[in-house]
Amino acid sequence: MAVRPATVPVGQRNLASWFVAPAALLLLAFMLLPFVLAVAISFTNLRLGSPLPVEWTGLRAYQRLFQDQTFGRALLNNLLFASVVVPLQTLLALALAVLLNQPVRGITIFRTVLFMPVIFPLSLLSVVWVLLLAPGPDGTINALLTTVSLGAWQPRDFLNDAIWALPSVMLVSIWQGTGFQMIVLLAGMQSIPKQLYEAAAGDGAGAWQRFRHVTLPQLRNSLVFVMIVTSILSFRVFDQVRIMTRGGPSDASTTVIFEAVRAAFDRAQVSRGAAMTVVFFLIVLTLTMLQRWLLRLGRPGVEK
Amino acid sequence: MLPNTLNTTKTTTLHRLSRWLLVVLISACQPASENTRPVGLEIWAHAGQQAERTVLEAQIARFNGQHDDIRVSLTFLPEGAYNGQVQAAALAGELPDILEFDGPYLYNYAWAGKLRSLDELLPHELLADLLPSVTAQGRYRGKLYAVGTFDSGLGLYAHRGALADVGIRLPETPQQAWTIEEFDALLEALARKDPDGAVLDLKLNYSGEWFSYGFAPIVQSAGGDLIDRRNYQTAQGVLNGAASVRALQRVQNWFNNGYVDANLDDAAFVTERVALSWVGHWEYSRYHAALGEELMLVPLPDFGNGTRTGQGSWNWGISKRCANPRAAAKFLAFLLEPEEVLAMSGANGAVPATYRAIARSPRFATGGPLHLYVQQLTEGVAVPRPRTPAYPIISSAFAQAIDDIRHGTVVQNALDRAVTIIDQDLSDNYGYPVFATEGGWP
Amino acid sequence: MIDSGATWRQLLAVVGLLTFLSILFVAPIVLILAGSLKPEARVLSEAGTLRAFFPTRVSLQNYRDVFERVPVVLYLFNSGLINGLIVSLGLIVNSLAGYALARLRWPGRGRFLLLVLALLIIPFEALSVPLFYALSALGLRDTYMVQVLPFVANPLAIYLFYSFFLSLPAELEEAAQLDGAGPLRTFVVIIVPNAKPAFATVAIVMLLFHWGMYLWPLLMTAGESVRPLPLGIASFYSLPPRQWGDILAFSIIMVLPVLLLFMIFQRAFVRGVASSGVKG
Repeated sequence: MAVRPATVPVGQRNLASWFVAPAALLLLAFMLLPFVLAVAISFTNLRLGSPLPVEWTGLRAYQRLFQDQTFGRALLNNLLFASVVVPLQTLLALALAVLLNQPVRGITIFRTVLFMPVIFPLSLLSVVWVLLLAPGPDGTINALLTTVSLGAWQPRDFLNDAIWALPSVMLVSIWQGTGFQMIVLLAGMQSIPKQLYEAAAGDGAGAWQRFRHVTLPQLRNSLVFVMIVTSILSFRVFDQVRIMTRGGPSDASTTVIFEAVRAAFDRAQVSRGAAMTVVFFLIVLTLTMLQRWLLRLGRPGVEK
Repeated sequence: MLPNTLNTTKTTTLHRLSRWLLVVLISACQPASENTRPVGLEIWAHAGQQAERTVLEAQIARFNGQHDDIRVSLTFLPEGAYNGQVQAAALAGELPDILEFDGPYLYNYAWAGKLRSLDELLPHELLADLLPSVTAQGRYRGKLYAVGTFDSGLGLYAHRGALADVGIRLPETPQQAWTIEEFDALLEALARKDPDGAVLDLKLNYSGEWFSYGFAPIVQSAGGDLIDRRNYQTAQGVLNGAASVRALQRVQNWFNNGYVDANLDDAAFVTERVALSWVGHWEYSRYHAALGEELMLVPLPDFGNGTRTGQGSWNWGISKRCANPRAAAKFLAFLLEPEEVLAMSGANGAVPATYRAIARSPRFATGGPLHLYVQQLTEGVAVPRPRTPAYPIISSAFAQAIDDIRHGTVVQNALDRAVTIIDQDLSDNYGYPVFATEGGWP
Repeated sequence: MIDSGATWRQLLAVVGLLTFLSILFVAPIVLILAGSLKPEARVLSEAGTLRAFFPTRVSLQNYRDVFERVPVVLYLFNSGLINGLIVSLGLIVNSLAGYALARLRWPGRGRFLLLVLALLIIPFEALSVPLFYALSALGLRDTYMVQVLPFVANPLAIYLFYSFFLSLPAELEEAAQLDGAGPLRTFVVIIVPNAKPAFATVAIVMLLFHWGMYLWPLLMTAGESVRPLPLGIASFYSLPPRQWGDILAFSIIMVLPVLLLFMIFQRAFVRGVASSGVKG
C-alpha cells in the first residue's frame, strides 16, 4: 500500500498552516510556555507561598538531585516499571484483542467488561487494590494464592515489602491500562481489509501465518502508538504510588513524578519539583527517540 | 433521592430570593445611607461531618439574626481539598474575610502576612478564657493570628478487661503515665495472650499529617523534638539526637515483634483484635459504642521525660484583605461563646476551647471520661506544632522517617535524612526571617 | 480469526478464556459496586474476604448520603459541560493538526511533529504550577474556560490522528483532488467519514484523561458553581473514620456517564469500520 503524503499545490500551503494554527497556538500557550517557565523556575529557588524574593540559584537544584539517593532510586524504579509494564501490557492487550476480534455474537459484552478498569479513576482503584492486597491469610490475593498453591504460599504484606511493593504497583497498572490498549488494537484489527485475509487463506495460510503475515504488519501503526503511549504513561506513574505505597517501603516503589509532586506540593519546593521534571523530560525524550528509531529500523523503506 | 436534591436546591434558591427581596424592600423603605447597609463578611470553612456543618450553618444564622449591621455568608470547601484550595487562593490573592485553616499551615500564612493579628481585636477576657494550648497554637512571633473553638486530644484507648487480665496499674492522670519499660512489658504480656500477637493499633491506615501529629510526642517525651525550638533554625541533634533515636528504636521493635496491627479495615480496636489504640479524640464515640464501660482512656507512655501528647486542630483567622476586621472579630467572639463552643464540640466530639465551656461539658469536665484530654492541654503535657512556616516540610520529612522506620530502615539513618531535608529548607529560606510587618504582603 | 467453518470447540475455548479473564478483570470493580450497596460498617470489615464481592441485604443508603452531601446534579452538569467542550473542540483542533501533519506538505512540518512528540512526554503535573501562577494572574480562576482551554490541544490526540491518517490510502484524496476539492473540503467530505474509528478513539481517550481530573480544578476553583464532579470525592475524605461506602457509591455515580458514553462509542467503532471505504 502506498502510504505517502499527498502533494499540495503551492497556493494551498497557507491553507495547510491554518489546519495547524489552532493546535499550535494552544500548545504554545498551555504547554510550551509553561514548560519553558518550569525550566526557568528550576534555575531559581522559587517556593510555594513564600514572600521572600525569588533568587537565581543556577544549577543548585540539579546538583542536589544528583546527590539525592531517593531521586536516583525513583529514576531506576521508573525504568524498571516501564521495561516490565510496556511489553507485558502490550502482549496481554494484543492477546485480548485477538480473542475479541471474533465473529461471535455477544462478544461486545466481554469488550465492555475488559474495558471497565480503564474508566474508573486510578486513585479509587488503587484504594480497592490496597484492600485486595491486604496482608495475612485473610487478604483476598493472599487467600487466592494459598488456595491455588495448595497451601505452599506464605501470606505476605505486599505493599510493605521491599521486594513486592513495586511489582504490586505494576500489577495494578497493567490491570488498569490493558483495556485501553486492547481497544486501540482491536479498532486497528477491525480496519484491516477482509480481502487480505481471504487472499492469505486462498494461498493456504494457517491461522498463525495469517496473524504473523497479515495482522501484525497491518497493525503496525496501532502497535507503535500503543507502545509509545504506554511507555510515556508508565513514566508518569503517580496515583497508584501515592495511594498504595507512598513510595515506600524505604523508596522501594517511589517514582519521579511522585517525588516531584511531593516536593512541589507537600514541601513547597517548586524549583526542586521543576528540576525533577526537566531531568525526567530529557531522559524520556531520549528513550522515546531511541524507541522510535528502533521501531523504524524494523521497517525498511517507510515514509515518515 | 433526586427529587429531594432538586427540592433543596429550590428551597435554598427561594430562600435566597426572598432574603434578597426582603433586603431590597427594607432598603427601599429606609433612606439609603452608609450606616444601614450591612457589612458583608465572606467566610470559608471546611466541610466536615454533617453534624459540624449543620452546627456552623445554624451558628451563622443565629449571628446574622443578632446583628443587623453584619451579613456573614458561608462557603464550604470539601475537607479533602481544603488546604490545597486555600493555598491556591492565598497565592492568587483571593482569600475571603474570615477563614478556617488546619494547624500545619497557620505559620506560613502568618509569616507571609496574609493574616491579621487578633490581639487587639478580641476582648481580653475572652482570650483569658481560651485554653493555653489554643493560644499557643495561634501565636507566631508573639502575636495571636488564629483561634480555635475546639482542640484535639491524643492518647491511648484501652480495653479495661484485657489490661486487667495482665494485671497492670491503670494511669488516671498524665503524671501517672506508664513508663516505657512498663509499656513494653505490657505489650509483651498482651501479645503472649493474643492469637496473632498484634495488640496495638497505631492507625497505620491513616496517612500524612497523622504520623507527625500522632508520633512526634514519642520523640518529645524522650527529650528530643522535631526542631530546636530555641530559635527554630535547625533540627540537627534534636530530631536525630540520641534520645529521639532510642525512643524510635523502641517503636521499631514493636513493629519487629509484630505487636502492631496493620488495621487496614480500621476496626482493629472495635472488633477487639487489639487491646490498645493510639489515636485522637475523634474515635471516642465509635469506640464507646463498641466497648461501652470496657473503654478507658490513658495517656501515651512516658519515654523518659514525662508523657507528651499532640494538640491543635482547625482554627479561625481574619485575612489581611478583610476590610472590616472589627466585624469579623465580633463573629469570632460569637463562635467562642460557651453555648456555641459546646454546640460545635457536641457535633464533632473535640475538646471545647474555653474553660467556661469545659466546665459545662459532662464529658470533659472534672470526672468526665475525657477529662484527661483537658489535663493534657492545660498542664503543659501537650506540645504545640513547631511554630515555623517550615512546618509542612518538617511534617512531611518526619512522616517519611516514621514510614521508613516502620519498614526497617536504621533509625539513625532515617532521622538523619529527615534532618537533612528540614535543615536544607531552613537554610534555603534563610531561616524564615521576619518578613511581614504591618504592611504585609498582598 | 475464526473461519465460518470454525468448530464449536474453538468457539468454546475462546468464550471460556474470555470469561475467565473477564472475571479476573472485573472482580475489583464488583467489589466497588458491592461495597457501595453495603452498610458502612461492613465495607471494610468484609473487604478481605469473599463476602466483599457479594452485598447481602442491599441498601441504597450510601447513594442517598452522596446526594445529600454533594450537589451531584450541579457537579455533573459542570463536568458534562467542561468535558463536552474539551472533547468536541479537541476533536476539531487535533484532527486538523493531525491531518496537516500526515497528509499535507508545508514548511516546518517535521519540526512540528517533533514538538508534538516531545510535548507528549510532559506530564500535566509538571506544568500545573507555572500555569497556575500565569492563569491566576490573568484572573481566570473559578471559570469554565480555565478548565477547558489548557486541554483542548492534546499531543496524544494529534499523534493518534496523525498515525491514523498516515494509514489511509492516498487514492481517497487523489479522487477528491481530481474533482477539484481543496484540502479543507477533502478533509471534511472524504477524510472525516473515513476516520470514524480515530475520532471515536480520540474522544474516548480525551474523556478518560479529563473526566477524573482532580489536581487542576482543585487549584483553579474556589466556589461550588463551576466545580466538576471529581472534587466531590474530597467531601468524603474528612476526619476518620472514612465513609468507605459513600466513597464507593460516589465513584460509581462518577463513572456511570463515562461507561454509558463508552458503550455508545464502541458501537460507533464497529459501525464506522463496517461502513467505511477502507477496504483496500
